Amino acid sequence: MEEFALIFGYIYQYLDNIGFLILAASGLIIIFGMMGVINMAHGELMMIGAYITAFTYYAGVPAPIAILLAGVGAGIAGIILERLVIRFFYKQLLSSLVVTWGLSLMFSQGFLLIFGPSILNIPTPFGNFPIDEQTFGIYRLVLFGISMAMIAGVWAVFTFTRFGTHARATMEDPEMADALGVNTRHVYALTFGLGSALGGIAGGMFALTATISPFFGINYTPLAFITVVVGGGANVITGLLASVLALAGSQTLVNNLVNVYVGYLGMMGTALIILLVLPRGISEYLERRKIRTERASGRE
Amino acid sequence: MNSKGSALDKYLGLLNGPQTMGRGLPFWLGFLAIVAALALGPEFLSRYQIINFSNFLISGFMALSLCLIWGYCGVLSLGQAAFFGVGGYAYGVVAINLLNAHGNTDIAFIAGIIIPVVFAAIVGGIMFYARLRGVYIAILMLVISLVIGTFMRQTADPDYTIGAAYLGGMNGLRPDSPDDPLLPSLIFGFGQTIQEFDGRSVSFYYLTLGLLVAVYLGLRCLVNSSYGYFLVGCREDPERTETFGYDVRRIQLSVFCISAAIAGLAGTLYTAWGTYIHPDGFGVAQNILVVIWVAVGGRKDLSAALIGALVLEWVSLRLASEGEYALLVMGAILVSVMLLAPTGVVTTISDVIERLRTNRAQAEGAKAPEIRKP
Repeated sequence: MEEFALIFGYIYQYLDNIGFLILAASGLIIIFGMMGVINMAHGELMMIGAYITAFTYYAGVPAPIAILLAGVGAGIAGIILERLVIRFFYKQLLSSLVVTWGLSLMFSQGFLLIFGPSILNIPTPFGNFPIDEQTFGIYRLVLFGISMAMIAGVWAVFTFTRFGTHARATMEDPEMADALGVNTRHVYALTFGLGSALGGIAGGMFALTATISPFFGINYTPLAFITVVVGGGANVITGLLASVLALAGSQTLVNNLVNVYVGYLGMMGTALIILLVLPRGISEYLERRKIRTERASGRE
Repeated sequence: MNSKGSALDKYLGLLNGPQTMGRGLPFWLGFLAIVAALALGPEFLSRYQIINFSNFLISGFMALSLCLIWGYCGVLSLGQAAFFGVGGYAYGVVAINLLNAHGNTDIAFIAGIIIPVVFAAIVGGIMFYARLRGVYIAILMLVISLVIGTFMRQTADPDYTIGAAYLGGMNGLRPDSPDDPLLPSLIFGFGQTIQEFDGRSVSFYYLTLGLLVAVYLGLRCLVNSSYGYFLVGCREDPERTETFGYDVRRIQLSVFCISAAIAGLAGTLYTAWGTYIHPDGFGVAQNILVVIWVAVGGRKDLSAALIGALVLEWVSLRLASEGEYALLVMGAILVSVMLLAPTGVVTTISDVIERLRTNRAQAEGAKAPEIRKP
């Protein structure tokens, strides 16, 4: 029984870390992975989501609806940002990086002015369950489940819906898509909005476990980036899954061997090593391998 | 080219070269006027203002260091403060340990420059030789800076000492003895001569001003030399530069190290200025401000970046006296400038002046602008 609790503890931490990274990165796989925009303000969109969740929750709205409202709010904020600023910076990676960093500073400082440095807390729902002498929070497993559902949802939207087809066409070749009657301006704005909305939902979900402050965002932006970058752009979803499995794995391992700070370093180190070996991310490698094996089997 | 005084001509030519804005007599008269005004500053500024101006000048080093790699070589680093902080901590640690034995901080000053360079050589070596994409380098540098900051924050435990220096976590670096809580200020010693530059004194201000002018002129020569052309080649088209037989990675690594040296110098001066260095030196605000100064001034020109830093630091100080929205305004300025004048304010203004002058010259039927002989 003791061994079971130990093993379960590791698996639980692993799932927790996976869910955390997927949620943090889910909006960015659309914004960076598909649109190629470096959005340094992604963490701040998550922060907006967290604040909306906190305020609506304390206004008496049930938590799930508060989180959905967070998604709506962050999505609208994202669409406004796209129209006002981001659209001038497509295809200019470094400039988009700088300008969105400026936006991130404006958001965090603006929230600091309005709401002050005080920290908000929302109680974590669902309670705990014990195994042997340890207790485990149920909400963390819910986070994991929702992160999986979000990935599946993103995949479904971009694979099966009309909007998804238009979006993929626009990202692939905007002029051709435009010529074929796709309103690329709307597609860009909506895609960015969707990515922001996912960020807002993630922020709302994290709001129930983490403390909310104007500096909420900076904890997530670099992590989300690294997760997406390690995944690579060839196939954002398989890339994200592979990257998350590797990063969360190394983090869980080092976490237990040393401590949380070194666990974080271990994750960054793993990301760096993967990028040094596969500069275009894991999914690029997987795609190439797939093509190679397909060719090989085709020849037989 | 005449042989007499050709070395001098050569260096003057480099100062005036095509990679930097501002050539000819009007520019240099303006330059001298600004330097003279700054040098005369202590005559009519209060002591408090001089202390602040010393800090502005230190920011100037940071702007130059980022301008060199980002504007000239196309390598953006969002973590320039990593070198600033490493330099500051290196200076502090060495100064605390050696001050009593040597009576001066010469070695500490050098360590504050060299250790960031070594750090940059390791990090940059890995990043450039792995041919990491530019955006990844930018973000990775930010992560590195934040990770060091996180590490320094949790060094409050008394075990974290390097010799006589106690890292001190959130309280900042300090000597490991209760009677002397401050870091040493800069004390240069040559043989028997000892000169102290207290951060609150006018002499420190002159030291910083002198170093800044020297670094600025030195960088002007550097970017106008053939090395500067390599840098611009790496920025404009790395593949083509490589095809011509130049090792882009080596050029990037070397300029990264030069930039780290300047940022380390800034960190050293900052630590000596306030006799204080803190984990926040690695934080987001410290990193983003450098990017703002350079982007708003104009990243592709040393003078523009330097002016950007000095002006924006002055604006921040004025704003800080009226409330806590200095950083918010800085963010807003950055976003507006990126939208309205993407090459930077100073660069845009200078381009407009240049265009007006050529237009007028053409309208008056004067001869075409003189073409400088190489």
